Amino acid sequence: MRENVMKPCEYACQTEEHQISRRLFLGAAAGLAGFTAPSVAKELSSGQKRMLVIFLSGGVSQLETWDPKPNTDTGGPFRAIPTSVPGIHISELLPQAAKRMHLLTLVRGINTAEDEHGRGATIMLTGRRTEAGIKYPEVGAVASNLLVTPNRDLPGHVQITPGGGSGFNKEDAGFLGPKFASITLADGKPPADLLRPASISSDSDREREALRQKLNAQFAQSRRSAQTDAYTESFEQAAKVAARAGAFDAGREDPKAADRYGRHDFGRHMLLARRLLEQGVTYVKVTHTNYDTHHENFDFHIEQLSEFDRPFSMLLDDLADRGLLQSTLVVVMSEFGRTPRINDRYGRDHWSKAWSVAMAGCGLKAGAVIGKTNANGTAVTEREVHGGHLFHTYFKALGLNPTKNFYPDGRPIPIADPKAAAISEILT
Amino acid sequence: MGSPWRLLLTMALASTFFSSKLQAEEPLHKGIDRIIAEGFESPTKAASPAKDAEFLRRVTLDLTGRIPSATETRAFLANRTPTKRAEWIDKLIASPEYSRRMQEYFDVVLMDRRADTKVSRAAWEEFLRTAFASNKPYDELVREILSNDGANPKTRAAAKFFLDRDLEPTIVTRDISRLFLGRNVQCAQCHDHPLVDDYAQEHFYGIQAFLNRSYLFPNAQDVKAVIAEKAEGEVSFISVFDPKKVQKSTPPLVSGWKPIVDVTLEKGKEYKVAPAKDVKPIPAYSRLEKLGAAITAQENVAFRRTAVNRLWALMMGRGLVHPIDFDHSKNPPSHPELLTLLADEFVKHRCDVKWFLREIALSESYQRSSEIPPGGQDVSQDRFAVTILKPLSPEQFGYAMIQATGLTDVYRKELGNNASETSLHAKLSAHLGPFQRIYGSRPGEPEDAFSSTLDQTLFVKHGDHVQNLLSPRVGSLIERAGKLKEPTDMAEELYLTIYSRFPNEVERRDIAELLRMAKNRTALLSDIAWAMLASAEFRFNH
Amino acid sequence: MNTPIDPTKTRLLMDCKHARPLIGCRFDPSGRYLFVSAEDDTLQRYDLLTGEKTPFVGHKSWVRGLAFSPLRDNSLVRLATLPSAAVGSAAIAAREPAPFTVYSGDYHGNLFWWKGTAGAAGPVKSISAHEGWIRAVAVSPDGATVATCGNDHLVKLWNTADGKAVRTLDGHKCHVYNVAFHPDGTRLVSADLKGIIKDWDLATGKIVRDLDAKVLHKYDSGFAADIGGIRGIGFNARGTLLTCTGITNVSNAFAGVGNPLVVAFDWNAGTPKPLKPTEAFQGTGWGVSVLADGTVIAAGGGGQGRVWFWNASDGTNTHAVNVPMNARDMAVHPDGTAFALAGANGTCSIYTMMVGSAAPTPPIQPKKA
Repeated sequence: MRENVMKPCEYACQTEEHQISRRLFLGAAAGLAGFTAPSVAKELSSGQKRMLVIFLSGGVSQLETWDPKPNTDTGGPFRAIPTSVPGIHISELLPQAAKRMHLLTLVRGINTAEDEHGRGATIMLTGRRTEAGIKYPEVGAVASNLLVTPNRDLPGHVQITPGGGSGFNKEDAGFLGPKFASITLADGKPPADLLRPASISSDSDREREALRQKLNAQFAQSRRSAQTDAYTESFEQAAKVAARAGAFDAGREDPKAADRYGRHDFGRHMLLARRLLEQGVTYVKVTHTNYDTHHENFDFHIEQLSEFDRPFSMLLDDLADRGLLQSTLVVVMSEFGRTPRINDRYGRDHWSKAWSVAMAGCGLKAGAVIGKTNANGTAVTEREVHGGHLFHTYFKALGLNPTKNFYPDGRPIPIADPKAAAISEILT
Repeated sequence: MGSPWRLLLTMALASTFFSSKLQAEEPLHKGIDRIIAEGFESPTKAASPAKDAEFLRRVTLDLTGRIPSATETRAFLANRTPTKRAEWIDKLIASPEYSRRMQEYFDVVLMDRRADTKVSRAAWEEFLRTAFASNKPYDELVREILSNDGANPKTRAAAKFFLDRDLEPTIVTRDISRLFLGRNVQCAQCHDHPLVDDYAQEHFYGIQAFLNRSYLFPNAQDVKAVIAEKAEGEVSFISVFDPKKVQKSTPPLVSGWKPIVDVTLEKGKEYKVAPAKDVKPIPAYSRLEKLGAAITAQENVAFRRTAVNRLWALMMGRGLVHPIDFDHSKNPPSHPELLTLLADEFVKHRCDVKWFLREIALSESYQRSSEIPPGGQDVSQDRFAVTILKPLSPEQFGYAMIQATGLTDVYRKELGNNASETSLHAKLSAHLGPFQRIYGSRPGEPEDAFSSTLDQTLFVKHGDHVQNLLSPRVGSLIERAGKLKEPTDMAEELYLTIYSRFPNEVERRDIAELLRMAKNRTALLSDIAWAMLASAEFRFNH
Repeated sequence: MNTPIDPTKTRLLMDCKHARPLIGCRFDPSGRYLFVSAEDDTLQRYDLLTGEKTPFVGHKSWVRGLAFSPLRDNSLVRLATLPSAAVGSAAIAAREPAPFTVYSGDYHGNLFWWKGTAGAAGPVKSISAHEGWIRAVAVSPDGATVATCGNDHLVKLWNTADGKAVRTLDGHKCHVYNVAFHPDGTRLVSADLKGIIKDWDLATGKIVRDLDAKVLHKYDSGFAADIGGIRGIGFNARGTLLTCTGITNVSNAFAGVGNPLVVAFDWNAGTPKPLKPTEAFQGTGWGVSVLADGTVIAAGGGGQGRVWFWNASDGTNTHAVNVPMNARDMAVHPDGTAFALAGANGTCSIYTMMVGSAAPTPPIQPKKA
């Protein structure tokens, strides 16, 4: 491999398709083309780490959750209630979470300057602004790429969505490649093809696998490449995942737990998330819908947050009780917040200038708040941060170094935005 | 020295130092073999010639996108004619399946599986297929694609390259340069390419300057939009590395030869049809009109180099320039004189694609085995000493599964006298969708490096699409094999149908024994067939 | 004697302005005062005779539920004669208005008692009535009981005299949006998010029947949320007709894409009849009432505002009036000739429907707050 003299290009070119080519710029070196570049060496931190993201889709109102401003021209009708940490108040719509503030870390000074759902989600999930031409990997792909996974039988990157289709998402791993893309469990159900269908008996399955392996072994004696290896191995991997299909079945959890979390959709999904994390899935993202309340914001936030509050709190309790919270990073986020100004239909609109995110767990100072907004929430007054800072913070909290690079096709790309840094005040 | 001149000089030097001419009376395929052989470090490390079965499956997949049927395989293997390989090649190239294969292949190359918004799939496929059936010269095809404004409904399909990219200038520029000049100049939009000295910002904008006066009329959302053009407008660019932010411009320019000189017209005479509200303007001088000719001009060496490099890669599994869209002086071809020879001969033969592919198929280099000889493991792929394993395209894989399981024959029988390539294809393509969706790259993205993802694997392992293909319906492989008396015959039928070869003794014995012992023979046949379909031998073209 | 009205003659009588968006509006039973509730947690009282604006400060959250002790004397102020009354306004102002009580319920679940005629003073009593929002307040015809309802799914009855709890009516399974006493005082209706109206026997506290206005509810599966609720409710004077209003046909709950609708019930039969605006309008019905001549009037908004009139017997939408603001509550004046609309723009507009060849008398300009 020749040395390249590369001109520095830190400039994020805002062009239509500043695409990172998947092919080497200088031509492939001798050898087998098409080999995916090795990922950044996995850092061995003490014990396995995992991450849970709860995505409140649509833009949850920070004024109705983590940063209430009661009795102001923007505050709306809800109270701020005291929490288990003296001096910290959150909205009365989160009474259970309030009792667990001592487990939480609030970031209240977020300004992501992006009011559009898709681009806002990109900022929060990739730590970068939407850049034409480069597809940055989402936090789940990065986490499953970087964190040690002793259990390789289960996929490392799982999404639980309220609806849509179960399947495999090639998109969200960006340049890390489809190997780190998520598996989507729509309404918590695994992709149809994950489970062996009734038309294939277990005997048949065994027979098929044995034969397939024998045929491949024979073929490999005379013809073999990195691609044929990748192909044949993928079946072994799939068999392992399929064998662990029970991990995806939250119905196997204690019914008392199901009652505690609540029998509603989000309750079930959070219980499934707990199960997957305990079974060894590195990253789970649960989406709760929807919070885009341009109309009658207050009624709808009552409804949605009442679905959120209890399972969220139960999951925190369970992680803490099982000693998992210190090795699990939990993040509650949205694509942005909502306007302090209440519109004429009791709604709040998109707002990214001053909003909040709540976190808990691995590497964080519990019971802490960083960042402040002014009296009526219209501006950040202290410690303003954006998606890049948060992205650094997640991986620092997980014991990794987000200033290191990925090397898709040999080109160095920092894991997190080099123009930002971790919010060290909330890291232990 | 400016970079376009550097490129030109390199190529000129390359052609003088090496004998890139055919020896007297030497057909191209002999010239290929001669030069490839010259590139071997040691002849013993080259693979031996492919056996008949190996050759048959490979060339049938490469030229018609499908595997041979068991009947075809038996016949070919039994055929004693010394010229049978050449005859088979000719038969394939003359068949309507060849045009279909080229249509499907070039559709993906040219359109990256983009959604069909302004030109229907049927019209585009018809256009491409007819072009390959009639063996339209390749340069003529490219000129047609790059010069059609979409206004004439009869020829509109040719404009799909522009129209279904919404004539987005950056994307169109990038793809013209990548596909027809072998230059991925994407990174040269904001600055001279950081890694490739030969790709300057000027090269990017030189191409874009052909397009910059054109736009979709009445607007990009209209499915009937056509391409309109103004009489004025210049590209301008600044390098993001330039602290002085100097504004630069360029006339339309294909790197490597002289720029286009715009015609300047008298004021008032710039338009044949002047722009007005709801009126499509037609300029008296059109930059866009010059594009096709400029790209395919004789002087533009890059065009023919890229054309032959891509066709070579199609057959051989790897370009002489590799990666195929990074042709530049620091990434020389593995066999420079061969590339020049291929390019020159291609043009001499008026860019005749059938002729070219035939020559490659006839060569020993193409007909080499993929079995690595002892000591050959460390020989670089770029020597073409051993045939490179190629994963089947989504289409090839789908058709192969459908053929191997017997469904193709079922349809052929159903159609009876009405069976034609078109009518049969209509039936087969109904089953192709999931293969394209699950194995194809994302719309708008060029085909990527091979990867085997969990969803693809589970599609084969558990998915009902594949399970259905394996069901023992009348006329299926399972049913056919099941009716045979002898387990050894069953083994043979399986291998001939799925792997397009006879089983060797060990394979025959092992399979036969399994079948003898089976409690449920049909189920076991299904299992064996599945294992073969899921194997690497089936998934790859070898 | 009822002043003749003609809805087609509806015109603006006066605007009562406030700095913050309005949530509710009600006339006191004498018709002299207009009370509004606003997003600044205050109530504001406009004296229609003197033009004075008086803040009622005390709530710490929003108020929509507003009710009053019933009229005990003949002090009904007729807006028809308002201008001439203003001629001797000093005399009018000097006349002591009969005392009355204002009951207001806020979104912290507190119910306040106020002296209706007081100057800017605080509430005279408050109780913690509900967990979460009080959405509506109503007073029994005999004035002895005040009913509240809210987000805790409950309807509660309280003594107006001492604030003691009389009874809790438990049957709804979701937020209770509205409550109204039958004019004969023996029954109470409460209406919830899902469009179910419960008819309670006040003597026993038992549910007599459920009335079906479920057309005013939808679960929006796209946003996974319920939208609905009876936003406005009203009996006719004799109690033979019950009307309610809200939003129907919702295709996008979070953008408010739906249509206002009135559902009218024959009280005896209990059968619902939808009353639709003829002209399509996107928004929510926020207030509904029945005029003396039987005309059903409703108001709503969603960006702009509208007022609609229906002939209740044949269901025809006889007239509609455009209003320039999102009308989030409606109250009909006790003299039956006018109505007020609480605007999201902070203005409470009073419209008159009086007929008469005389040009509308110039409105009284309320004194600046």
